[in-house]
Amino acid sequence: MALTPSNVDATTDSPANAAEPAKAASIAPDTAGTLLIGLTSLPPEALEATLTNLALAFSAPTSGQSGNRNILVTTPDAGNPILTGGSFGNLRLIPYTAATPAVGALYLTAADYLNTFKVAQEHKVTACILLGPESQSLTPVSIRALASALMDPTGKAPTDLAVPRYNLGPHEGLVNSAILYPVTRTLYGAQPRYPLAIDLGLSLRMAERLAAIAQTFTAAGQNDAILWPVAEAAAANFVITEVDSGPRSLPQPASIDLNALLAQVAGSFFNDINLKASFWQRVRTIQPLREVSMLRAPAEGWPDVTPMLAAFQLAYTNLHEIWALVLPPNSLLGLKRLSQMPVTSFRMSDALWIRIVYDFVLAHRLRTINRGHLLGALTPLYLAWVASHIILAESGTAPEQHIEELATNFENDKAYLVSRWRWPDRFNP
Amino acid sequence: MWQQVNSALSESAHRVLFNLASFLPGLVALLVAVLLLTLIGSGLAALLRRVLVAVKFDERLSRNQAAAAISNIQEWSPAHSPTVLVTRVVFWGCVLLGVIVGISAFNASYSDNSNISVFILPYLTHSVGAVILLLIGNLIARFLSRSVLIGAVNARLQYARFLSLGVKWLVLVLTAAMVLDHLQIGGTVVDLAFGILFGGIVLTLSLAIGLGSRDLVSRSIEKSTTDGPVTYDPPPSPEAPRPPTPIDTLRHF
Repeated sequence: MALTPSNVDATTDSPANAAEPAKAASIAPDTAGTLLIGLTSLPPEALEATLTNLALAFSAPTSGQSGNRNILVTTPDAGNPILTGGSFGNLRLIPYTAATPAVGALYLTAADYLNTFKVAQEHKVTACILLGPESQSLTPVSIRALASALMDPTGKAPTDLAVPRYNLGPHEGLVNSAILYPVTRTLYGAQPRYPLAIDLGLSLRMAERLAAIAQTFTAAGQNDAILWPVAEAAAANFVITEVDSGPRSLPQPASIDLNALLAQVAGSFFNDINLKASFWQRVRTIQPLREVSMLRAPAEGWPDVTPMLAAFQLAYTNLHEIWALVLPPNSLLGLKRLSQMPVTSFRMSDALWIRIVYDFVLAHRLRTINRGHLLGALTPLYLAWVASHIILAESGTAPEQHIEELATNFENDKAYLVSRWRWPDRFNP
Repeated sequence: MWQQVNSALSESAHRVLFNLASFLPGLVALLVAVLLLTLIGSGLAALLRRVLVAVKFDERLSRNQAAAAISNIQEWSPAHSPTVLVTRVVFWGCVLLGVIVGISAFNASYSDNSNISVFILPYLTHSVGAVILLLIGNLIARFLSRSVLIGAVNARLQYARFLSLGVKWLVLVLTAAMVLDHLQIGGTVVDLAFGILFGGIVLTLSLAIGLGSRDLVSRSIEKSTTDGPVTYDPPPSPEAPRPPTPIDTLRHF
């Protein structure tokens, strides 16, 4: 599917525009083989730091890659004084005013994909790198690694989707560890540890595919819709590469409303699973075990799990009837046992968590109860998993090892999901 | 005298039989109209289903339309199939048409000054309206009750179930009052009883929440009157809202 300028909402300021900085005027459209780096809106200091890192990343030639490659950097912060005043090596800056403004601050949104592809199409680039919020925390080395994965010395794109693997602490990115990573790996046979990574490398055809999907959302006014690039790439049989990106500061929501955020992310994820059902039911891949990092206790110590367990206990006494509409008796029995466990030995088995996630995916598809209620009822169960995960880590198990085992168990139990997806009315003890 | 009684009785019986005789054709006409159009509807729906399946309507729709629009259609579709949605709309449209035609025939079989027609038809209409009100009220009560329960549990309020029950009964009482009012039963007694009951529930909930959350309210007022950071004192009771916990310091995303 090709996007034409007429059906893409984003607009790039032409060089003739008065607001356009003078640098942009020098950009010729015949820049084949160039790399486009799309930035999200950043505060002035963060933008300056990011541009400095980008300049460092692409300043000197490294083995197999030209340091003089054309690097275009787009940013929606057209009015930022740094863009007119600063000099950033061989980077060519293309500030633009997005006609489809991105409103999300935590993830790459539909508007980000669409705006970047529009610019990429106009400048005929070979590949794009999208850097999400707080991209100033990415090191030049990790940016360079992302670019290297995306473009070989001949200027072609050997991979369609380069996904960074962040080096996060053991109590960061927990939704990703509990749901997104294991389920994505199981359903789509894709290895990336962070399926909802906020920095991505895209080949032009991958960017086009994502922009086409993004456009369906933006046309419906959902500029902040979350897209699932790994699932898209897997469904299109594109090449996916994971790149080690080291530590990275992830943006955190201004207000702590776990319930709303979990509902937003899990709702979008479950919807995507529903849309790709015909694809993932055919996937039978079991990923090899990957090497896991050693146990790294957080500097500030392990968090206290008591409030999380209290939240679960409260939910168990109040939400049992709602869970009973979604979960089979066996899982309810597991939850009952869990509610009676003392804090010290609290452990949610992988099998129970897997069935909970699968049954919630199914209930989301079947609309067993209102979807908002369903995702709200998932929150306390997720907190119970987090508490169990932390207790396990405190006892000496490496968190990454637990997550890898969980993902493998998800894969082994995939038949349950496929079977219930196809025959939801079958007896399920 | 017996002759007069006999005459009165026979005249009365004659009138009732006459009314019944004029009532039955209308009823039969209503039933026939509903039955006939139901049959036509099911035939049309079956035909339409075959045609739509043959042209792969669902697949074409999912390919050609925007994801959001598809998602909206599928949300409202039984079994997530737009084909099923279309066929059911056609079927129930025919049934509804049959009911309208039947009621018109039923109405036409009476003269305008017929007492039964004047009395029964508006009441029948009101009864249907009341049943619909009752159903909608129950649905809203259940929905709101669950929403409040889940929201309150996730906000870690100990009285979540009580709050949920309160909201459920508020809506149910409101629904019952509306239904009785719609049926014109009870008159002002219903209004008065509703006012007392509704007010009582609201007062009970207000007292329960107010007393249970007085610490939260006082802190909220303090926060709105001072610019400085709000200090978190230890909660005086298990019902009181909690200070920031490690749940908040964890990075879920």
